[in-house]
Amino acid sequence: MVHALGEIQRVLVPDGILIDLRPLCDSWLIEVISGRETRQTGHVTDLPLGLEDDEAANQAMRQAEANGWFVREGEEFFPIHYVWDTASDMEKWVDEEWVDFIGLDEDIRRATRSAWAIGDADSRVRVRVKMLITKWRKV
Amino acid sequence: MQKDPEGNETRHLRKFADFQGKRTLEVGCGEGRLTWRYASASSLTVGLDPDRNALRVARIDCPSDLAEKVYFVNSHAEHIPFRKETFDIAVLAWSL
Repeated sequence: MVHALGEIQRVLVPDGILIDLRPLCDSWLIEVISGRETRQTGHVTDLPLGLEDDEAANQAMRQAEANGWFVREGEEFFPIHYVWDTASDMEKWVDEEWVDFIGLDEDIRRATRSAWAIGDADSRVRVRVKMLITKWRKV
Repeated sequence: MQKDPEGNETRHLRKFADFQGKRTLEVGCGEGRLTWRYASASSLTVGLDPDRNALRVARIDCPSDLAEKVYFVNSHAEHIPFRKETFDIAVLAWSL
């Protein structure tokens, strides 16, 4: 990662901007939503690999900063939502796409399926993903 | 599946960088999902990704009005095939 940051620093003009945009593991909230109501059904479980990836990325940026390549100019956390039509669609996505870094406990799966099944006709399932955006300037 | 239907990601990206007239490198562009959100403002955009299949999708999906100023390159971030001081902005898109 640090080598890649060095390459980015090389191809940026002096005073160039690096934007680091990425999700962070943070026990993302699961909700069943409709036009009428929002029900929280639980949180995903952060797995060690996801947490290690986040720490490795943070460490790489700290190293780039320590190397004198970049200075941090701004940082913000914000949420984005992933939205599925059904609870099973959400489970399938988590089990196939996010399997390495988050998990879904069985009681959370049951609670989400149940809330979706008894919910309004327009009920959908969403996960609130924590995002980090950081602005760095090339030194 | 809908991802970020509220557009929070795009809003924050534009808040943190002014892409107008800039030469932009996106590292880990994948299929170009994020690329299309700022590329119309940039004077030149290069999307870099090691996944050839993702880049194939990106090239197919590239809007016709961006075809003259968006390019995709199959490469790893550890070896960026451009000379020094080529870009004004670099975006690490879910790739650090």
